[in-house]
Amino acid sequence: MTDPIPTIAEAARLIAAKRLSPVELTRACLDRVHALDNQLHAFIHLTEERALAEARAAERAIMADGPKGPLHGIPIGLKDIVDTKGIPTTCQSKILAGNIPEADAACAERLAAAGTVLIGKTTTHEFADGGPSFDLPAPPARNPWNPDHFTAGSSSGTGAGVAAGLILGGIGTDTGGSIRGPAALCGIAGIKPTYGLVSRAGVAPAAFSLDHIGPMAWTAEDCALMLQALAGHDPRDPASAKRPAPNYTASLGTGIKGLKIGVIHHFHETDYQVSPGTKRGIDDAVATFRDLGAEIREVQLSPLQDWMACGSLISIVERAAAYEEWSRTRLGDFGERVRSRLMLGALVSGVDYLQAVRRRRELRAELQAAMAGLDAVLTAAQPSEAPKIDTLPKWDVFELPSFTMPFNVAGYPAISVCSGYGAGGLPVAIQLVGKPFQEAMVLRIADAFEKATDFRNKRPALVGA
Amino acid sequence: MPSDISDEALDFLLARAGLSLTAAQKAELKGVYAGVAAMAARVRQPRGHMAEPALTYGFAEEDLQ
Repeated sequence: MTDPIPTIAEAARLIAAKRLSPVELTRACLDRVHALDNQLHAFIHLTEERALAEARAAERAIMADGPKGPLHGIPIGLKDIVDTKGIPTTCQSKILAGNIPEADAACAERLAAAGTVLIGKTTTHEFADGGPSFDLPAPPARNPWNPDHFTAGSSSGTGAGVAAGLILGGIGTDTGGSIRGPAALCGIAGIKPTYGLVSRAGVAPAAFSLDHIGPMAWTAEDCALMLQALAGHDPRDPASAKRPAPNYTASLGTGIKGLKIGVIHHFHETDYQVSPGTKRGIDDAVATFRDLGAEIREVQLSPLQDWMACGSLISIVERAAAYEEWSRTRLGDFGERVRSRLMLGALVSGVDYLQAVRRRRELRAELQAAMAGLDAVLTAAQPSEAPKIDTLPKWDVFELPSFTMPFNVAGYPAISVCSGYGAGGLPVAIQLVGKPFQEAMVLRIADAFEKATDFRNKRPALVGA
Repeated sequence: MPSDISDEALDFLLARAGLSLTAAQKAELKGVYAGVAAMAARVRQPRGHMAEPALTYGFAEEDLQ
C-alpha cells in the first residue's frame, strides 16, 4: 500500500525490463481497491478474477516474447456505459439492471488487444448525465482528495480510481466535459479527442453529435499511450473519422519553445469569475509556458454563455431522442436528475434545435479563425475546486458555467491537466485546446507543463503513497 | 420564445412528447422554462439563408464506387 503508484509509462518500462510483474502491479491496484473503494465508490462492478487471469496471461506472454506494447499488463477501468462482453454494463441505471452485453465496445476491444488488465467497470452518472445522484443502484463516486467532495462527472469513477491508484488509466466519455471535469477535480489528466477520432461503437449515447470517448490517466504522457491504442477509424461508428492515427508520443519531451498559445481570459475573468485558486492555477500556468519559451497571445471568442446555450440545447434534444422510448414507458425508473433532464426535451422545439445547430457552425468558424496561427489555446477547466458532494444544484445546466462545453460544440481536442492545489488542498486544473486531429500537439504542451511543475509528485493523502 | 409557459401549453408539449408527469414535476419544469427560453434566445442571431447547418450529405469516395 505504501509503494509509490507508477504511471503507465513508468510501469511499462519496468515491465519491459522484467523488473515489475503485471500480477504484482494488478494485486497492488486490487489491494488499494479493497482498502479504499468502500469510501470512494469508484467501481460499480469489480472483475477481480478476470483481472488476475489477464495479469497472469500477460506475465507469461511478456516473459516469453516481451510486451506487445506499453499497455501490456497495465490495470485499467472502463466507465460503465462501455459495453463489455459477459460483464454487467448497467449505465448506473435501474433501466439496465442485469444487462450483460454480448460484445465489447470498440474502445474495450482495442484496450484489451493492447494487453490491458480490466480491474472493473467504473462509476458513472446515470447514462452519463446529471449527478451526483443518491437514488441510483450504486452510490456516486467520491473525490479521493476529500471524500466529502464531488468528483465531477460523468466519468466520476475513472477520475477517482486513477487519482487513488486503483487503476493506472481508464476510459471516460465526454458530451459536455465528462472526461475533463473529473480529471480536473480529481487532479489527473484527461483528454477529449477530436470528434470522430475514437470510436463510440458499443458505448451508450448521451448526445450523438457531442459524444466523445477518451483516456484518463495520471499524466498527459499516459493519456498519449492510451490514445495510441484507441484512435483509428471504425466503420461501426457512423461519425468515425477516416484518418490514420499519428504517433502521439513522438513529440513528447521536445519542448514548447516558440509555440504560440492563446489564452481565453474573458471566459474565466469576465463571462464568469472562477475561484481564486483556479485563477491562480491559470495565471501560474501562463507564466510557466512563457518560461518554457512559448509565445502567449490573447484570444477573444463569443461569450461563454453563447457556447453553453448552443451545446445545452443540442444536448437536451439529442438525449431526449436517444432515450425517447424509455422516457415514455419507464420515466419513473430513471433517477431524479436524469428524469428531469429528459423532461426538458419537451420544452425545446425543432426550430430551437436547428437554430442551435446553425449557431454551432458559426461558433466553430469563430474558433477556427481565432486559432489561426496558434498551436493551442488555454482556458479554465472547471469554475472552482471540487464542491461538497451534497451542494450541487439539480439544475446545474442553468446555474453553473461549463468551460468544457465549447469544445464539444466545436469538436476540437481538449485536455485537462492539474495546475496546482487550491482551497482545502483540492486540485485545480487548466484546459488546453488544440486544432482538429492535433492531439499530439495538445499532449506535447500538457506533458511539458507537467514536467516543468511538481504537481504530479503528490497523491491524495488517503492513498498513503 | 416567451419566458414563461401556461399550464395548457406545457400540457400540450408534454402530451406531444409522450411524457406523463406528476403535478410536482410539471411545476418544477415550469420553474425552469425561463432558462430554456434564455438559451433558445441566445442561439438566435441575425443570419442569412446561407447559414445552414449543411450536415445532410458528406459524400466520400465510397459513394463513387
